[in-house]
Amino acid sequence: MSNVSLRYEGEYLFKGLDLRLPDGVCSALLGPSGVGKSSLLRLIAGLQPFESGGRVTIGEIEVRSGRKSPANVAYMAQQDLLLPWLDALGNITLGARLRRERPDDARARDLLRQVGLADYERALPATLSGGMRQRVALARTLMEDRPVILMDEPFSALDAITRLRLQELAAKLLRGRTVLLVTHDPLEALRISQRIFIMAGRPAGLSEASSPSGQTPRDPADAALLRQHAELLQRLNAADIDSLSEIGA
Amino acid sequence: MMRFVRPLIIVAGLVLIWQIIVWLTGAPHFILPAPARVAEAWWTHHATILGHAGVTLLEIALGLLFGALLGTTSALTLAYFRPARRWLLPVLVASQAVPVFALAPILVLWLGYGIASKVAMATLIIYFPVATNFYDGLRRTEPGWADLARTMGASRWTLLTRIRVPAALPALASGLRIATAVAPIGAVVGEWVGASAGLGYLMLHANARVQTGLMFAALLTLAFFAVTIYFIVDTGLRRALPWQPDNLPTEQEE
Amino acid sequence: MLITTLYRVLFPALLVILLGAGSANATDKLTLLLDWFVNPDHAPLFVAQEQGYFAAHGLEVEMIAPADPNDPPKLVAAGKADIALSYQPQLYVQVAAGLPLTRFGTLIATPLNTLLVLADGPIKSIADLKGRKVGFSIGGFEDALLRAMLARHGLTLDDITLINVNFSLSPALLAGHVDAVIGAYRNFELNQMAIEGYQGRAFYVEEEGVPSYDELILVANPEHMDRAVLRRFLDALEDGVRYLINHPEESWQLFIRGRGELDDELNRLAWRDTLARFALRPAALDRARYTRFARFMQEQGLIPEALAVEEYAVVLE
Repeated sequence: MSNVSLRYEGEYLFKGLDLRLPDGVCSALLGPSGVGKSSLLRLIAGLQPFESGGRVTIGEIEVRSGRKSPANVAYMAQQDLLLPWLDALGNITLGARLRRERPDDARARDLLRQVGLADYERALPATLSGGMRQRVALARTLMEDRPVILMDEPFSALDAITRLRLQELAAKLLRGRTVLLVTHDPLEALRISQRIFIMAGRPAGLSEASSPSGQTPRDPADAALLRQHAELLQRLNAADIDSLSEIGA
Repeated sequence: MMRFVRPLIIVAGLVLIWQIIVWLTGAPHFILPAPARVAEAWWTHHATILGHAGVTLLEIALGLLFGALLGTTSALTLAYFRPARRWLLPVLVASQAVPVFALAPILVLWLGYGIASKVAMATLIIYFPVATNFYDGLRRTEPGWADLARTMGASRWTLLTRIRVPAALPALASGLRIATAVAPIGAVVGEWVGASAGLGYLMLHANARVQTGLMFAALLTLAFFAVTIYFIVDTGLRRALPWQPDNLPTEQEE
Repeated sequence: MLITTLYRVLFPALLVILLGAGSANATDKLTLLLDWFVNPDHAPLFVAQEQGYFAAHGLEVEMIAPADPNDPPKLVAAGKADIALSYQPQLYVQVAAGLPLTRFGTLIATPLNTLLVLADGPIKSIADLKGRKVGFSIGGFEDALLRAMLARHGLTLDDITLINVNFSLSPALLAGHVDAVIGAYRNFELNQMAIEGYQGRAFYVEEEGVPSYDELILVANPEHMDRAVLRRFLDALEDGVRYLINHPEESWQLFIRGRGELDDELNRLAWRDTLARFALRPAALDRARYTRFARFMQEQGLIPEALAVEEYAVVLE
């Protein structure tokens, strides 16, 4: 994207942002709450209109906010957004149903197996735990098979252990895909992403942090990782104080 | 087992309270007949009562059918067509603001003294709760779902039919429950204004002939059928929406 | 000494006389339930009220209009009110059902009920009702009236279709929903139709096989009634009727005084048509006439047996 600006209640959330997402890797977008990460994500998804002068392109196609999103993003939110009246299989194949296509049940079953819920094909979301539901959501996202996957704090509502497991699962399944993961947890960013961007300030700006190395999912006990974690925490803290002082808190 | 015994105990308790009230207040039989008197009247006239009950039940059933149909289509129209909201919504509100009793004579004059005017009355009374509840449900869809659907390339129509409508079905169910509870009112009011059959008519007739026992018997029969219809509709709705989260715990309890 | 006696005897005596006079002239309160909303059928009552006849007889009468005509007799029977305006035919049914009621006076001494048709309609005589629709409002004995009227022409209730039109008798007839209506009052519905520009033809029930009866009577609860007070009530009522008959125009002004909503064309026409029908002697009772109607009610199957007149009517001395 280039020169993208967005206002919220009269004030600029961010102004003149430029961002180039690397292809085929998971990039994390870190930042304090309220800075506008989710809005940026929704903007890329085509759900949020932005000011003229800015351009967002995915591959060759330009993103325009409108009724129909471009057919090249898959979106996964913090809530699982599973439809309560459809069973697990039905939810995974939701995209096809909404587009009036015939759902590929075989592929859906395979994905369900990959997220470890092979026996829960007919289960209604109300009978599944939070972690299980998010796994179904992950399967649904993968089912869409889009060039770009946008994830908005998908694991933050889960407990620590479940979160860890799902991070590993996501890292494994999302390998080789272009992912933009919004998170407020620097450890998560370090564990599963290849590039980390920090969004801070008001109006917010983007800066890049040092990229972690190694195969994802990374071991949280790794010394180098822990050092980077501490650095990130410091940077985020400083950024937060900056933005707080700007607001005049 | 307890499920069937409980209503019986409740009814028995109510009858006891009724008898106690009669004893305490010393109310004359032509104002508040004792349960025994009413039971006797019911037994003597049960053929007549049941015959009239059939007529009223038919009015209620047809009223529910038309009211629900009109209500759901109105709600869908309001949800899908933006200009409809400006024109149709005030009409919706007005339909409830006018008391049914005032409309009854007009309906009877237009539609005659047969069953049509009674069905029209019941339909009118049912229309509003169904339409508003369903419309509210359609409006209050989880915004996340709309976002998700749009990223998946759903059209406005698909969004309405595949997501908004199923999500609003619990709200529709609430509206239908209310409708079932008020349907008998519409039918009976219609009968009071001009009818030659039905439990409402029978009550008026019995009242004029100072057959207070029969009047109460007809009234209680109406109450019984109203409760039964409500129970049937409620159970049907709960079966039809098994995915409603709050259903499952209570089913497990029972 | 004389002065102290004067003070000790005269003044207390004066006091007693004054107070005693007050209590002797203390007004007796009566609640009277009308049969329906205030209309010219109630003229003598309002004349008595406005001319102060009730007050002159030491009475304070509170008149209440009910919404349901079936309520007043029940409330009097239950002891909640003193007097109710009711209908002679209903009285037999009510007493047979065990209500403690007795008729002690008459307000309107002729029937007002008619079978009403459109003058230029197909019904020229009762016999023409065969196969037709007759509208009624639930009063309790309209089918008995019809049966008697039809029997004279060799017809039964099966030859007609009865349709309950409740209180909108004239609209139903004018709209053509029914061919005739029963329960229409000769002083009201006829005029109502005339105002709308329609000519109606009335068949008077007492001319068509129904024994004559009093349309509006005064009933009280025999277990609670104070005969002396009610006699005074009837005296005041008779004064009201007398003034009404002698001064109809002034009486109309008294009727609408403070009740502007009653001043309309229908009421004015009805007033004129009702004048000749008020009971000139409200307290009087024609026993044979009441017995004759009792037998009629029994023949029509509305009451199990014709009771003796004493059971439901009384003459207050």
